[in-house]
Amino acid sequence: MKLAFTLAYKNLIGAGLRTWLNVGILAFAFILIIFYNGLLDGWNQQARLDTINWEIGYGELRTENYDPLDPFSIQDAHRVYKAEKFPQLTPILIRQATIYPHGRMLSIALKGIPSDQTQLRLPTSYLSTEMDVIPAIIGKRMADGAKLKEGEEVLLRWRDKNGTFDARSITIVKIFDSDVGSIDSGQIWISLEQLQSLTGLKEEATYFVANEEYSHQRLNNWTFVNQEELLQNINEIIASKKISGSIMYLMLLAIALLAIFDTQVLSVFRRQKEIGTYVAMGMTPSQVVVLFTMEGSMYSFLAMLVGGLVGLPIFTYLAMKGISFPDVTQDMGVTMASRIFPVFGIQLILGTMVLVIVSATIVSFLPAKKIAYMNPVEALKGKLQ
Amino acid sequence: MEKIISLTHVTKKFEVGDGYFTALNDVSLSFNASEFAGFVGPSGSGKTTLLNIIGSLDSPTAGEARVMGKDIAKLSHKDSAQLRNLHIGFIFQVFNLLPVYTVFENVEFALLLQDVGKEERKKAVMDALEWVGLESMANKRPDKLSGGEGQRVAIARAMVKRPKILLADEPTANLDSANAHAILKTMKTLNKELGTTFLFSTHDEKVMAYLNRTISLKDGKVVSDLENINQKVEA
Repeated sequence: MKLAFTLAYKNLIGAGLRTWLNVGILAFAFILIIFYNGLLDGWNQQARLDTINWEIGYGELRTENYDPLDPFSIQDAHRVYKAEKFPQLTPILIRQATIYPHGRMLSIALKGIPSDQTQLRLPTSYLSTEMDVIPAIIGKRMADGAKLKEGEEVLLRWRDKNGTFDARSITIVKIFDSDVGSIDSGQIWISLEQLQSLTGLKEEATYFVANEEYSHQRLNNWTFVNQEELLQNINEIIASKKISGSIMYLMLLAIALLAIFDTQVLSVFRRQKEIGTYVAMGMTPSQVVVLFTMEGSMYSFLAMLVGGLVGLPIFTYLAMKGISFPDVTQDMGVTMASRIFPVFGIQLILGTMVLVIVSATIVSFLPAKKIAYMNPVEALKGKLQ
Repeated sequence: MEKIISLTHVTKKFEVGDGYFTALNDVSLSFNASEFAGFVGPSGSGKTTLLNIIGSLDSPTAGEARVMGKDIAKLSHKDSAQLRNLHIGFIFQVFNLLPVYTVFENVEFALLLQDVGKEERKKAVMDALEWVGLESMANKRPDKLSGGEGQRVAIARAMVKRPKILLADEPTANLDSANAHAILKTMKTLNKELGTTFLFSTHDEKVMAYLNRTISLKDGKVVSDLENINQKVEA
């Protein structure tokens, strides 16, 4: 094996430009695979962290009939809770409401959250501001959609627990910037006490956000959804992105492998005299097969070397500085930071290395195995078989 | 004298279309150690086929070919490779030097296959290059060599492992007269100094002049087997 390695290395280096073209394209595929997956892993990590910090905490305890995907469930999704019983939970009450910004009518989800909560990163401390009107916070997307600015008043209309309409002005005291669109678009946050008071739903909540100390025990009429279940959506989006992205880089890898395959097929025919000479000098056909397979798989080793030299500074720079994405991507409803920091984990790098080495070895072996059936006399003559 | 090659009623046929071409027809010969012999005859007479069988690159269709006591037809790929690796050297008409290797590496190759240590290898390669007068060209690549130099590298490569048998297929065919004589003198010297058996396939009269024994072939048959008592050229 050591001999095959030495000879393969000499043969590849001696082949000059042909080798470096193959190595170049394989290195490019190698870099691209790591970059794309690193980007998605970075996105995934940031999206998960942001979702945990801004929306779901360590799980949600929901009233039994609350379905976040069904707006009609909101009407009846509220239940009395005893705040002192659940210090590890942050209560949130949701009601449907309408605002009238600049003469337009806009249906929104009105959410009540304790102004002193620290579980979520929502700037709820602004909700404790003592004002004649109701202080409210909204996200950047909501502000853009409704054309609302900080300090602006807007009329809010809601129905209380008996179905009676009422209306008051709210003041936008803070516009927050979050990557998590699902706590922003079409939503207005006010203090929980205020919302309970406006609707007559004293000591009631739609769901709770748990902190890490919360340990769920079965409660009648409440359903606990743990963090992993709540993150399922993000996982699925990232997984689907990985699949669609993999088509692109697998095509690139296929081109690189085709180049190696082509070189190997050509080698077996063009280097027949050389193969015959190896056999005449005492190499067995299987040793020659190993040599040619080694040559092919060595492309992948050289590609990794080149990929490492070129890719390492790029990856290090990107991991530190991140890649900025236009705001438009954040309006797609997917949790995505405006600057993503790719994560190039050891598992990703090793996995890609194994993928490239194994696939290059396979495509090298396939033409090389023809050598095993080659007649050395014919090979020495250089006759095609 | 030690008999190292013996061919008994060796026949070799090749498939050609629907029929067969008989390259060797009932050839019986034997060779002792240190012989400097050659097969002569026109193209298609079976010279190269005979060398290929002796070199265990091919096996007879009928008859028995024994080299270093081993029946060629019964050797596995591995055993025949080992026989070539340890005991047989080849010199080809077109040299067959490995183009990406230097002169040193080309000669070293045979020893790499034998797993010889680095220091021992280096000494043996330089000795072999000294035999053929090319020690100063150790770092050149084959494409920088003249035809004569290329063939001398091929001799060094074949001789570096000190084989018992050296098979040379038309070694002077691509060389001018001066180079051909120089090469043949080198071979003759190595034959005397190292006791290697040299077998040639040739129709070059310059080569014939150096042979101790000339075996003439025609249509796959031995037509004469002569000891050259009055050998014209001595090393």
